Amino acid sequence: MNPEIGHYALVLSLAVAILMTVIPIWGARSGDEALMRVGSTLALVLAGFVSLAFAALVSAYVQSDFSVLNVVENSHSAKPLLYRITGTWGNHEGSMLLWVLVLAVFGALVALFGTNLPARLKANVLGVQGSIAVAFLLFILLTSNPFTRVVPPPAEGNDLNPILQDIGLAIHPPLLYLGYVGFSITFAFAVAALIEGRIDAAWARWVRPWALAAWGFLTLGIAMGSYWAYYELGWGGWWFWDPVENASLMPWFAGTALIHSAVVMEKRDALKVWTVLLAILAFSLSLLGTFLVRSGVLTSVHAFATDPSRGVFILGILIFFIGGSLALYALRAPTLRQGGIFAPVSREGALVLNNLLLTAAAAAVLVGTLYPLALEAFNGEKITVGPPYFNLTVGALMLPVVFAMPFGPLLAWKRGDLAGAAQRMMAAFGLAIVAGALALWAQGGGPLLAPFGMGLAVFVVIGAAVEIVERAGFGRLPAATAFARLRGLPRSAFGGALAHAGIGVCLFGIIAETSWNAERITGVKVGGSFEVGGYELTLDRLEPRNGPNYRDLVGVFSVRKGGVDAGTIESAKRLFTARNMPTTEAGIRTIGFSQLYVSVGDELPGGAVGVRAYWKPFVTLIWIGALIMALGGVLSLSDRRLRVGAPKPAKKPKARPGPDADPAAPVPAE
Amino acid sequence: MLLWIAFSLMTAAAILAVLWPLRAGASAPAASAAQADLAVYRDQLAEIERDRESGLIGPAEGEAARAEVARRILRATAEAEAGRVTACGADLRRRAVAVIALLGVPLLASGLYFTLGSPLYPPQPLAQRLEARPDQSDIAILIRKVEGHLEANPDDGRGYEVVAPIYARIGRLDDAVRAWSNAIRLLGSNAQRQTGLGEALVAQSGGVVTAEAKAAFQAALAQAPDDPKARYFLGLAAEQDGQPAEAARLWSALAAASPPDAPWQGLLRESLARVGAPAPAVAPGQGSGQGAGPGAADVAAAGSLSPEERQQMVRGMVQRLSDRLAQDGDDLDGWLRLMRAWNVLGEADKAKAAAADARTHFAKDDGALGRIDTLARELGLGS
Amino acid sequence: MTRKGRRLLLISGALGVLAVAAGLVLFALSDTIVFFRSPSEIAAERTAPGTRLRLGGLVKDGSVVKSDNTHVRFVVTDGGGDLAVNYVGLLPDLFREGQGVIAEGTMAPDGTFTADSVLAKHDENYMPKEVADALKKQGVWKEGEGKP
Repeated sequence: MNPEIGHYALVLSLAVAILMTVIPIWGARSGDEALMRVGSTLALVLAGFVSLAFAALVSAYVQSDFSVLNVVENSHSAKPLLYRITGTWGNHEGSMLLWVLVLAVFGALVALFGTNLPARLKANVLGVQGSIAVAFLLFILLTSNPFTRVVPPPAEGNDLNPILQDIGLAIHPPLLYLGYVGFSITFAFAVAALIEGRIDAAWARWVRPWALAAWGFLTLGIAMGSYWAYYELGWGGWWFWDPVENASLMPWFAGTALIHSAVVMEKRDALKVWTVLLAILAFSLSLLGTFLVRSGVLTSVHAFATDPSRGVFILGILIFFIGGSLALYALRAPTLRQGGIFAPVSREGALVLNNLLLTAAAAAVLVGTLYPLALEAFNGEKITVGPPYFNLTVGALMLPVVFAMPFGPLLAWKRGDLAGAAQRMMAAFGLAIVAGALALWAQGGGPLLAPFGMGLAVFVVIGAAVEIVERAGFGRLPAATAFARLRGLPRSAFGGALAHAGIGVCLFGIIAETSWNAERITGVKVGGSFEVGGYELTLDRLEPRNGPNYRDLVGVFSVRKGGVDAGTIESAKRLFTARNMPTTEAGIRTIGFSQLYVSVGDELPGGAVGVRAYWKPFVTLIWIGALIMALGGVLSLSDRRLRVGAPKPAKKPKARPGPDADPAAPVPAE
Repeated sequence: MLLWIAFSLMTAAAILAVLWPLRAGASAPAASAAQADLAVYRDQLAEIERDRESGLIGPAEGEAARAEVARRILRATAEAEAGRVTACGADLRRRAVAVIALLGVPLLASGLYFTLGSPLYPPQPLAQRLEARPDQSDIAILIRKVEGHLEANPDDGRGYEVVAPIYARIGRLDDAVRAWSNAIRLLGSNAQRQTGLGEALVAQSGGVVTAEAKAAFQAALAQAPDDPKARYFLGLAAEQDGQPAEAARLWSALAAASPPDAPWQGLLRESLARVGAPAPAVAPGQGSGQGAGPGAADVAAAGSLSPEERQQMVRGMVQRLSDRLAQDGDDLDGWLRLMRAWNVLGEADKAKAAAADARTHFAKDDGALGRIDTLARELGLGS
Repeated sequence: MTRKGRRLLLISGALGVLAVAAGLVLFALSDTIVFFRSPSEIAAERTAPGTRLRLGGLVKDGSVVKSDNTHVRFVVTDGGGDLAVNYVGLLPDLFREGQGVIAEGTMAPDGTFTADSVLAKHDENYMPKEVADALKKQGVWKEGEGKP
């Protein structure tokens, strides 16, 4: 395809996005339905044009069209087809185009499936989406145009940064962007509500699934990025508190708070103003993430290119959208009607606690990420806020969240019974203590962090199961009835429990890996052996191999445990010839949920080769847990039923003293 | 042509996206906000009923939930009654929107595209370029083909010899040096290869005849004692080593030994004038201002040109460098090269001006300032 | 409890949580930040042994000494000062002499630096920002010369 078609499509997208910003909002203000309808067709056409532009860029990459500067700078004809395609978004310009593509497609989805939305709400939402598209299209066209051409075309490109030549890159950024940009929809709904000064009943019905979808993608994207860094960078770390990781974690915290408060809003018509604020915050933090990655203000693995004019432009976008939406919020929020009232000890109360702590965690990460920048601007002092800060603050704030998590779903709406919920948690609590004791025995005494953390993780997982068992009524109703009720439970209930269990699984992996991992750094000659985590590794041979655009020096290790053969591990030092850049290809062997991780380093004097080996117990649970969380999100998302939270009746029920009944209802009726 | 049709169709689609929903008779009344709310609440009531039947919620809770939804319905109904307003002035507004779309979209899109895009530049997929007939291929592809051949046959000295001067001409000087070295290694040393290597080395170091380059020219002379290029550059080396008398001796000898109409006579006359030696008797060239400028390889490549053309070419190159730096001055090496080039051309004022411009441009960069000052001192430009 | 009282309780609870969070952030910040220093700054300040720092600069040409038990010694320079670094472990892929590097660790009593982690650039065009600034101050490194 001619790249100029893509270029023109991109320019045309800008024109369409401008119209999409102006016309529907004008229509909504003047009550003109025809104008409001224009928003939908424009959203569809915008998605079409941006897709066309993206397809043109992908085609230039696939065909190695070196008359396009972006292809020259980031591709190489010897690169495998898959990496030629993924290279499209493995650079600044292409990834911004992907960002806008996701935005436009989401806008089109609202236009297509929003037939049951009130016309005004829909028009305003599309208008806000259009304005975001205008800002980013201008940014792309004026500062980061992927369609800039070169005359004469060189015969070969510069190749993509080798650490980005990986299947992880094919998946990680698109997932992350689906998450970031997904929050643009909830943001658009929030701003639309503020523009109109009213929150429709349909509002929460729409915000909850979008928030869930964005949250699910973001969860997967973060987990994917973590695993990618784990195996690709060769240091065996899975989380570095790198500014860009933080940039994805902040919207995740805000988004997690949002999906919970949206539930309160949908079911109980409460926490409206707060939900609107969270929707604004989640997207603002996503934009901030984009800013941190793209502007290069922070030192990071992900800082592709640093260009001050880009930074200023993105800062402008940031100030306009974050400042504008918060100003609108300050102006309009007081006019929004407050919803239902609830007791501090209730499902709503538990969710408020969850929201507060999650937001505080997002704020703590924000402070830690931006503090070095602020300090440097203030007195020129350069500092680093490292893992200890984040571990301490986020850990301390998440501890109560995780501990309270199993209790929340057991509390009734409006007013709950904490003692009753605690009683029903006794089984989970007992199992947790057993697990902690087992962990203590397994590590043979020593620090209490691991036993405590593992006990907590088990408590969370069992607690999630208890929730389902309780809601079905096992143990207090006849088994047949309970099974019937189990089948009748909404899928969102299973989804929530699954996501909570995923947190527990992830926590278990984190605690086990950090407390029990074993590391061995040593020099080893061919034929030599060393021991790590109870496994004996022997370097059988070092052999050179050639790939399409790289050369490997592969170290082949055989693994034995207690004298028994346990397979082999291959780890390589890889040299990418186009850029003359070496990378380490870690060798990983998964044993149960644990992994043996080996990376070879430089050759040392005396013929030995440096080797770094780790034993990482239960490390895969970290990512499996994240997958379970996302799966819970999908399950909940598939539940398209209307949801109303049935509050506990004020009067003491006469019929049946079920678990939901509260014999000592301490709170009087409204 | 096809491209313009595609552009027109795309523009038309964008305009149609606005006009289509505006057309008369298309307005099916959309749900008002309050009506939409009511629909949601009715669905919620039905949902509560279903939950109660399946036993998920008790009768008492169901009743409480119903009561709450009923309260919401009452409120929404009141709003629906109050909030009926009809739009007015719709026709004028819609016409305005149509005009904006019809004019605005093509104007904005074409205006922006013609400043940013290159509609006349066809796509250049690599496969197609590789398949093109050799006489239609671009030079980059030809080089690439030779490189591909050399990768498969790394011992083909002829290949290196063919590609080396091309590298030098397009400015890939590191590759030129490597290719000449390989040619010498594989095919043996001869005067042409050694001078080629020497020239590439000189160009690589920005016009300075390094020890390595000098060795190459000497090797050339050992095999072909009257090679004019090698003799010229050895003179230049002497001049740069601060031995103007030796340079004058070498150049005069070369001028005397060359035919009077040799293309390099002008260059020699100029060089001799620079070191303050009398011009040789036989010197028909009238060029003024010549030397190892921005790329000595270019100078040598210009050997077949007339002295006037050659002079113009060199000055043009320096002027181009100067223009480029005036536009985008971030290239420190470029500035240093420019200072050196003007100085070599005898334009001390311009060299000083370049140094001053470079200083203003790198005012905040102490390291760059240091380098500029060092060079200015070396060239005797004062600070 | 009245409606007002309940809201008050909620708000005071929220404020309590935020106060705890803010206190936590301040405490952690005062305790865990690490300062960035270049060799000449360390020389000028006579940094006390045991101080935790991030050291940045260029790996001095010819200074890397590897032994067979993965113990590495190298010198970090910023043009204005040198500092010897001891490190046990594998060096990052792009660790090269004459290139930018950041080492995190503590000052040893003998005036050398004991690193527990060493970071190099992530690709050949990229220079850690702190290192670039420190070198610019010393006039060693210029924009556009990052390539090896």
